Amino acid sequence: MKKVSIVFSLLIFVLTAFVSVSQLFVVPKGWPKQGYDFSRNPLSNEKIALGRALFYDPVLSKNNTISCASCHNPYNAFAHADHQLSHGIEDKIGKRNAPALVNLAWQKKFMWDGAINHLDMQSLFPITHPDEMGEQLDQVISKLKGATIYPKLFYKAYQDSVITGEHLLKAIAQFMLTLVSSNSKYDSVMRHQAVFSNQEKNGYQLFKKNCNSCHTEPLFTNHEFENNGLPINKILKDFGRMKVTGLVTDSLKFKVPTLRNIQYSSPYMHDGRFARLQDVLKHYTLSIQKSATLSQKLQQPIVLTSNERVDIIAFLLTLTDNSFISNPNFNYPKYNLYP
Amino acid sequence: MKSGIAVFVVFFSMNTCVLFAQTTSNTTLNFNPKFGNADLQLNDAVYTTKINDSIWIDVFKCYVSNIALLQNGKVVWQKKNSFHLINIANQQSLQLMLQTPAALAFDAIQLNVGIDSTTNVAGAMGGDLDPTNGMYWTWQSGYINIKLEGRSNKCLTRNNAFTFHLGGYQFPYNALQKITIPIQQIKKINLVIDIQKFISSIDLTTQNQIMSPGKSAMFLSNQFSTIFSELKQ
Repeated sequence: MKKVSIVFSLLIFVLTAFVSVSQLFVVPKGWPKQGYDFSRNPLSNEKIALGRALFYDPVLSKNNTISCASCHNPYNAFAHADHQLSHGIEDKIGKRNAPALVNLAWQKKFMWDGAINHLDMQSLFPITHPDEMGEQLDQVISKLKGATIYPKLFYKAYQDSVITGEHLLKAIAQFMLTLVSSNSKYDSVMRHQAVFSNQEKNGYQLFKKNCNSCHTEPLFTNHEFENNGLPINKILKDFGRMKVTGLVTDSLKFKVPTLRNIQYSSPYMHDGRFARLQDVLKHYTLSIQKSATLSQKLQQPIVLTSNERVDIIAFLLTLTDNSFISNPNFNYPKYNLYP
Repeated sequence: MKSGIAVFVVFFSMNTCVLFAQTTSNTTLNFNPKFGNADLQLNDAVYTTKINDSIWIDVFKCYVSNIALLQNGKVVWQKKNSFHLINIANQQSLQLMLQTPAALAFDAIQLNVGIDSTTNVAGAMGGDLDPTNGMYWTWQSGYINIKLEGRSNKCLTRNNAFTFHLGGYQFPYNALQKITIPIQQIKKINLVIDIQKFISSIDLTTQNQIMSPGKSAMFLSNQFSTIFSELKQ
């Protein structure tokens, strides 16, 4: 009898552990399995909390002025409003538009050109880039060691107050992995809990016909790199993915971004050249520039009337997830970082 | 219930007996960075190349991984998923203990110079693979397999510096080098890494700054792979 109860309680223990882990990251119904390998970085509330503290802490930058959230603000769907290009320490301006951070567990390559191969390694780029946070990783660690709160937070997360690069990067990745947006009006419609207006419905049909091959549902990206016919900016001279692969066939290709929460993630494109969604729609219908690497999916012109463009925008606004934007778990941590 | 525990204890102790029966012995593996016949020293030591050029070395680090011992071309012992950062500034890193079975016969050692592509895409790791070791590129993901920095009058650069950060894991620029070195002294493996041989194989006037994956990194990594040999006693 005793044996049975021991086995039973063990089973319960294992089951509850499993449930609590899965509650920290749930694949929304009907979505593909995420690409991120959680077995190498199992989520825990303590690690997520540590990652969240780091994400909002300007201590990661050289002069302690810029945090991840400076350019990835929750109120802008973790993008940066009003800045076409990223804005770093000492008012330095980078070369690309800070993208919205959302549903990153499904993404396998990071940055507009895919230069970063794993979410764990992503934060190294902005931390060390001279035009972004301009700091050295070992400097960050020595600052964190001297801070009041971090040895405690690292201990809570890893049962080890020694701060390592691995733990730092994995904790930031954990917080970013929790940034899942799957509760927009579009999602409610797909779950038969809401209905589109006629205009949204028409926009959705037009979207499926003209946009869905790259901005594929339900993540609204095919995770590929495409040349979407933007003329090159003569000052930035940014050839995109070609810099990473060295292949001329990758010239002018950039990552297809998700359209989720696009209402809040203005400005648009890798260099933030378009401020409004109507400018984006105008580009796709009127000013695609032909070149050797232009996306196969844009070889035929997209023909839309101005009313149809408005309908598509009405549909795009159904991708706004207010529960994501205002999720208290994603915002600046309530506890004081420096009491 | 009690008998169950007793059976378990007996079973467990039998297991441990079996474990101890397979006696292991440590084979030491020493790396000896050299410049010709001289032990390599950083910063102040000045070396002369074969073309009478004065040269200084300021940084020398490289990864060795997946160490295996071979007998007649067959693997007889292997340390899977082992990654070691050799850093001349850290003398401890120059010696490794290989937990080999006692009386293991082998005639060669095989190792990778650098980090394989699977490990390169596996996310953040600790220990010798921790990105704080300065052997990870931050602007484009990937480990730096070999870091060699120094000064030579032949380099018309700032401070006459040359900088080689060699790596790359993606086709067609996978710079990983697999090398096999014949070994005679099997109790204590002593490997030489002769930087002079590497320097002699390149023209520092034209090639002094390689810090990204590509053709040059492939070429230099290949040159680097030829500078390992057994120390002549």
